[in-house]
Order: sequence, then structure tokens, then C-alpha cells
Amino acid sequence: MRITSALAAAAVLALSAACGSGGSTGATGGGTASEAPAEPVKLNFLSLAWQKESIEANKALVDEWNKNNPTIQVTYVQGSWDNVNDQLVTQFEGGGAPDVIHNDSPALSGFATRGYLLDLKDKLPAELKSDIPQPAWDTVTFGAEGGVYGVPFLQESQVIIANKKLLDAAKVRVPTADNPWTWDEFAEVSKKLTKDGAFGVAWPMKSPVNKTLNLALNFNGTFFQTGADGKSTVKVGPEEKEVLQRIYNQIHVDKSADPKTLGMGTADPLPGFYKGEYAMLPVGVYLRQQVAEQAPEGFEWVTLPPLKGTSSNQGAVSQTLSVSADSKNPDEALKFISFFLNGPNQARLAKGDWLLPTSQKAATDPSITGAENGWDVATASVKNLVVAPFLKVNGYDEWKSKVATPVLQEYYAGKISLDDAAKRLVEEGNKVLERY
Amino acid sequence: MTATATRPVRTASRGPSPASRQRRELLVLMLPALVPVVLFSVGPLLYGIALAFTDARAGRNVEYGFNGLDNFTRLMGDGAFWQAMVTGLIWAVSVTVLTFLFGLGLALLLNENLRFRGFARVLAVVPWAMPPVVIGLMWRMVYHADAGILNGILGTDIDWLADFTFVLPAIILMGVWSGMPQTTVVLLAGLQNVPAELYEAGKIDGAGSWQRFRNITLPQLKPVIVAITSLDFVWNFNQFSLIWVLTQGGPGGRTTLPMVFAYQEAFRYGRFGSAAAFGVVIMIVVLAILGVYLWRQMREANA
Amino acid sequence: MKRPLQYLALVVYVVFLGFPLVWLLSTSLKTPREMASTDPSWIPADPTFANFIDAFGEQDLIGAAFRSLVVALFSALLTVALALPAAYVMARHRGLASRVATGWVLVSQVFPFILIIIPLFMVLRNLELTNTLTGLVLVHVTFTLPFALWMLQGYVRAVPRELEEAASVDGAGRVRSIVSVVAPLLAPGVVATLLFSFISSWNEFLFALVVLRDPDVMTLPLTLARFTGPEGVARLGPLAAASLMATIPSLIFFAIIQRRLKSGLMAGAVKG
Repeated sequence: MRITSALAAAAVLALSAACGSGGSTGATGGGTASEAPAEPVKLNFLSLAWQKESIEANKALVDEWNKNNPTIQVTYVQGSWDNVNDQLVTQFEGGGAPDVIHNDSPALSGFATRGYLLDLKDKLPAELKSDIPQPAWDTVTFGAEGGVYGVPFLQESQVIIANKKLLDAAKVRVPTADNPWTWDEFAEVSKKLTKDGAFGVAWPMKSPVNKTLNLALNFNGTFFQTGADGKSTVKVGPEEKEVLQRIYNQIHVDKSADPKTLGMGTADPLPGFYKGEYAMLPVGVYLRQQVAEQAPEGFEWVTLPPLKGTSSNQGAVSQTLSVSADSKNPDEALKFISFFLNGPNQARLAKGDWLLPTSQKAATDPSITGAENGWDVATASVKNLVVAPFLKVNGYDEWKSKVATPVLQEYYAGKISLDDAAKRLVEEGNKVLERY
Repeated sequence: MTATATRPVRTASRGPSPASRQRRELLVLMLPALVPVVLFSVGPLLYGIALAFTDARAGRNVEYGFNGLDNFTRLMGDGAFWQAMVTGLIWAVSVTVLTFLFGLGLALLLNENLRFRGFARVLAVVPWAMPPVVIGLMWRMVYHADAGILNGILGTDIDWLADFTFVLPAIILMGVWSGMPQTTVVLLAGLQNVPAELYEAGKIDGAGSWQRFRNITLPQLKPVIVAITSLDFVWNFNQFSLIWVLTQGGPGGRTTLPMVFAYQEAFRYGRFGSAAAFGVVIMIVVLAILGVYLWRQMREANA
Repeated sequence: MKRPLQYLALVVYVVFLGFPLVWLLSTSLKTPREMASTDPSWIPADPTFANFIDAFGEQDLIGAAFRSLVVALFSALLTVALALPAAYVMARHRGLASRVATGWVLVSQVFPFILIIIPLFMVLRNLELTNTLTGLVLVHVTFTLPFALWMLQGYVRAVPRELEEAASVDGAGRVRSIVSVVAPLLAPGVVATLLFSFISSWNEFLFALVVLRDPDVMTLPLTLARFTGPEGVARLGPLAAASLMATIPSLIFFAIIQRRLKSGLMAGAVKG
């Protein structure tokens, strides 16, 4: 009898054209929990924490919650960044996504427009809402109605990790958060540090797009303009070209950046960095964790504040917690999130992941403001974070992989000129965006 | 078409047996395998193919409908699609051919009565047994520009996975490496299947080892060779995860295989209809190539 | 004069294919600091078990390995049990059924798996088989069956029909002749197919990822992925330690069954 019902199910599927049809059983594993009052509400929490301290912090917080809230029991489920998109798309479409979902702001835009996520705008507790500043909320606000599709909690900024001995030897000015290097100064310093077969800087640009676009805001390069009809088009003018040109010059004109690091992923240049093959790495703050853990004995390193163009603005990427639109228990899920992301807890999570908390209370926590491992510089850089325009562009993801990634890879590799690159980014890009 | 193409040599006719009894017997033999296939494969597959003619998109409560051949015409006009198909063919043919040649060599060696044969056999399946998550990471380290093993051996200074010229050969090498154990084991099993009498007869005839290989081993092995090379080709054409981990289709789209393209269309941009159309095109192309290949093999066998 | 060359070739092959095992072992014993060296050595200067302690302490690797083993064994046995009779029919009878089956085998292998994952997931959900290992086994069987059918019918075809007929002439019944003559000759092919099914299931990631939800049903490949972060950054030490443990069972499984890779023909030597 199993077989007949299964055959029927398969037949229904083959005929039915509705992909998202079929009643959702929700994420609570059977969905009977809410009907029986004696049974606690069960929530699944998909976490993407992967560093040791971070996993420990996450697990400890979930345990703490479960102990204090016998009526709302949270199951901690670990996912992984590389595959979370595939997992979620399938589970959102087929039913059975987790109630509480950890992800990041660039992914939320697409999920939000497809209706996978719950709009939290009118549900957020005042305390949580006021503890997190508006620029951070902007990274998770999408659509004409300004829906809020997640709670931003950890942010990444781009800093420079540098070899202290080489900096000292070159006698360059050490920048501070109040008086950072300008891009011109950075170029000079890189040239000075390029000697004896070593390079001043390494640009790991395997995934060049988000990095370039976030840095482009230093010169107010937005890359997109959005019309009154909500449609976006690509724009690559003088402001956008600044950062492109400057990085290119370091590689091909000044020859102060090591060309062989160009194809590397973020963490790949580290072995060469420890060896002194390049003095500076412009990377995300979280990379400090690896440096602290791996750097050979006697290797001294410093975290330098973000560069300054016409401003020090950078595009912010936030990690987020969202509630699945299919969740049977959204209110309980939000209660859990409010606990999980309160000030002290955010400080623990930020420390575990070596990122910056959005919570203003957490930002003053002594554990993430000390000078050790560059926390003071990293945490101070949060003030430079603004919402990057690309986060709000429908079709950005496709533009990024189909157009911008290959074009920027070719441009940085010296295969095409800046004008060609700009032309392709705009023309091929607009063709992609037209479909959205 | 493929079904007829796989028809092998007709040998001596079968002994008489009541047709109805035989049919029942056949059904009983086939049925167990049919159940899971019908349950889990037919429905989803037909559904997947049907999507190709709709404008299905990702999203909750999205309404969509039949749109005829729109998806196909759009694909035909997309340069990236053609580039992916060409890259896919180069990749799949090179990897399949190289894997087969190296795999056959290894299978022949492992079939010899050498010392430590069992040990060598076990080590030869390491690439297959290793968890895929760690395979990508390992090859990234082999190809690493600074600390890579390959540059260490060759004394070069190349960032293999970011170099526009070397990236395709580099991933082909990895493809051969990861495909070899399977092909080797299958061919080895095929070699074990060759009746020893044939070799003995060959020896008596005074045939040298090369002649024995050409006249006995190869023809006997042919059904297995055809089966594994055709499957290898299909799998390689549809390869996704290894490439995704290593290059994500870069640099500059040089390693965007068809499946990378289809994956992005479906799981990133949420265009299920268009991705399904792409799947159908892949299916037609691969089946056409396979059809020609299988048909030629069979014709040769018949000749 | 031929033998030394053969040994040399074998060593080259084994080094090419087997070096990752040494790499895994060496990496799993290294400290993070040593792993970041630009000239990596094969032998850890300062061996440590910290990676193993971390890996096994953080994740339920033993439990996951046990579940993976159950899933892989069931999938492998079930696949071969279902495929063998059908493959025989496909190879020996040119009926409509076997043509349809052959066509289906090819189509199902050719149509991209990632495009049917969502409808497949929905079928399982309607059968209430998501989040169960049974569901996973059924899916693994379904998707290794085409390979099993395709390969096994190749092996059946390689068995000379005359042998089978000779046995029938000797007076053995049809079924008896299959069991006593054909089956032993197929042993190497069955071993290859078992191994294929076992390893495919043991390493399968994508479907396990979307089907299994609760920590207490997770399989090994999912657990291994926990050591990787965004953009391909990974905690290499614990990952290598865990991967080493994930690789060994498949190798042991193969080491046990590979003995059958020589005896097939000898055991069933043709009498007629």
C-alpha cells in the first residue's frame, strides 16, 4: 500500500505544475508540537558557525536558552556556508526549512523577494531594535514596503593586516583610526615596501566583486543607479573606476602588488605573508583569527584601519538571523533571536567569529575593544560601514557571477583595458538586469 | 535510438520456451529494480523535463505556466551557454579518454601477478574513497601558487587555478585523478572475466603478449569498456562539485562547465524553467554523442 | 626484463593516486602554525593529536560514521540485489522492457541531478521519509541502480552465452544454470558494483544535506562539511583528522572484497 500511495504521489508531482504546492509540514518535525499544550514548542536553528570558539559560543547560548525556557526548546543544527544556499532553496521550495536561519545580508535580498522569509518589521522588540543602529538594519531591509527580513548581528569590514617588522624597517607612518592612510599614501607605502624580491601588498582576488564594490564606496562609487520604477542599471563612471584603477596600478604599473596572489582566495596568501613575501594584506577583519593562530613564533603583525578615499565609507556585509516564512512558531522564534542577539551575547559571538557586533552595547565590551590582535582597530572600523547599494539590486547575484566576476578577473589580470571592462560591466550587465 | 544502438551481436538463437512463461519470468526479474526507479526517478525526472516548457521560477506561491519553446530560444541566443557547452565537451572528452587510457594501464598491471598487488589495489582507490569536501581543498593546495606541491616539484611559479591558459589542463588532471579508481576497478573486474582458456589457446597458437592483448583481451573487454567510457563521459559532462570548489567557473569563465551554468540558473537565480530547458539540451546533446559512439562500437562488433 | 618496468609503473601509479592518504595523515598531525608554512614537509615537525581531539570533541563523528556505514551497506546490498536479475534480462533478452530500461538508465544518468532534487525532495516529503535514513537509502539505491544495471549487463554480456547453454545441455535447469555458471563468472563485476554503490552512498553529500534535518540523523559527509567556512576557508587540521577517519572504512571495505577480484573465473571453472 506504501507503493500505491507513492505512485500516486509521483504521478501528482509529474502532473502538477505548482512547484511550491503541497501542504507544508513546517519545520518542527511533524508539526504536532503546537497542538498539544503540554509539549514544548520545538524550533530548529540552522547555524553556520564553524570556528572552534564560535561553535562553542553558539552551543553554550542555545543550552542556556533551553535551560531557562522549558516551553520553547531549540535544536541546534549546524550547516555550512558553502552549501547553505542549495539546502535552503530546496527546503524553502519543498517545505521543511528550519525556523531560525543564519545567513548573510547579500543572500537575504533574493530570499526576501521570493517570499521565503518572514517580514519582522512589526514584530521586533523595541530593545533589540534600538540596540542595533539604523545602517545595520538597512542591510536587511528590502522591497517597496521596507520589510525587515532578518536581524543583523555580525559585520565584516575590510582592514589591512601588515607585517610589523617590515613596516618599522621602512619607517612609514603608522595610521590610526582617526588618521588613516589615504589610497595615495597606501600606494606610496606599498612601493616603499617592495624590495629584495618582496612585494608591498597582496590582493587575493579570486572573488573580486564584493570586495571591489565594497571598497569602491571609498570614492563614492556605487556601481548601480535605481530608477523611479525600482529598476536598476549599472553605472561605471569616474567614481567607480577609482578603486579599479588603483588596484590595477599596484599590480601592473607600480608592480608593488604580487601578481601571483591575484587568483587566490582570501586566506591563501597567508603562508607567503608569514614568510615576508608581501608586507600587507587588505582583507576582512575575520582573517585575524587565522593569523593569530598560525603566525610563526616571533612574527609580529598589526591590524591597520580601513583606507580613505574621499571618505572611509565601506559597504557592509552583515551576518543575520531570519525566520522562515513557513515557521509554525514565528513568535517563539523571534523571542529566541532576541535573547540570542542581546548585547552581551553578541559580544561573545563576535569574539568567537572575530567579527564586529552590530549591538551598540556589545561594541563597548572590553573583550572586543582591547589592543590585542587588533580588536581596537577592527571594532572602531564599524563606524565606516554603510549599506552598499548593490545589496538592494534585484539580479545583482546574476550580474556578479555572469558579468562582473569574469570581467574583473580579466581586468586585474591585465587582459583588458579599464574602458573595455567598464563597457562590459555596463552593457552586458544591463542586459542581465533587464530580466528582473 | 540508444536502445537499438546497444543491441549486441546476435548469437545462436535461444532454445524454444513458451512465450508467456518467459514473459512472466522476465517481469519477475525486472520488477524489483523497477519499483524504486518508478517511485523516485520517473516522477521527478518527468517533472523536471516538463518544467523546461514553463516559466517556473523560485518563490513561494509563484504562479507560472506553459511558455512553449521560449526557454530554448533564449538559451540558443546566449553566448555564455554555447561557451559552457564547448568547455564541457573539451573537458568531458579529455577526461574520459585520459581516464580510460591510464585506467586500463593500471588495471592491466593490477591484473598481473605482482607482489603487493592487493596493497596497490587498495591505494589505487584512495581518490575515490576520500570525502569530496577534502578533495577540493587538497587540490587547491597542490596548485597553490606559494606553497603548492606542483610548483615545488616543477620549480615553477604559476598560480595554476587562476591562469587563463593553465586552468583547464589543471582541472583536467584533477578530473583524471578522481575518475581513475572507478574506471580501473571496473576494467579490472572486466579483465578477470576473460576466460583463461582463451589465453591458453592464444599461447598455444604462439601469440605474443601484444597480440594476445589485441586479439583476446580487447575484444573480450569491449562490452565493459563501452559501458564505462560512456558512463564516464556522462558523469564528466555533468561534473559540478569538484569544479565549483576549485574555481567556481573562473577565471574569466574559463572553467564554466554546463552544470555550473545550470546550477547557477536554478539555485542562484531561481529560474527553474530555464535551468530545466538547459538540462534537456544537455540530455539531447549527450545522448546524441553517446548514440553515435555506441552505434559505431556495435557496428564494429558486428563487422 | 619486463617485471622491473611493471613495478616501476605501479609505483608511479600508486604514488599519484595514493599520496593524499599520506597528506591527510601528515596534515592531521600538524599544528596550525606548521600547516601555514610555504615549504610543507611530509613529516610533521611537532606532531600533535589536538586536531583529532578537536574533531571528535566538537562533532559526533562516531555516531555519524555509524549511520553512514548503515546507510552505505544497505544501499550497496540492496542495489546489487535489485540490479542483478534485471541486468541479466537486459543483457540476454531483447524485449521492449529491456530497451525501455536501457533508455531509462541513460536518460536518468544524463539529466542533471541537481535539477530534479527539488521534486525528488517533495516525493520523499509526501511519503514522510524526509529526515530518515530509510529515505536516504532509497534515494541512494535509486540513483546508483542505473550504474549498477548498466555495468552488470556489460559483465553479463561478457560471459559467453555458449557456457550457459552448455550447462543447460548438460541437463541443469535454466535457473540452476544461471546460478551455477553465470553467477560465479559475475563475481568480479558484482564486487566492482558493490564497491561503487558503497562509496557513492558513503560520500553522498547533496541529497543528505537537504533531506536530513536533525543532528541525530546526520551522516558523515555532512559532519565533515562543518569544518569549512565561507570562501573555501577551512579548519584544515580537524578536517583532515575527520577525513582520515572517513576514508579508512571505504578502503577496508575494498581491501576485504578485492580478494574476490581474482577468483571469479577460477572458482566457477567451466566443466563442460
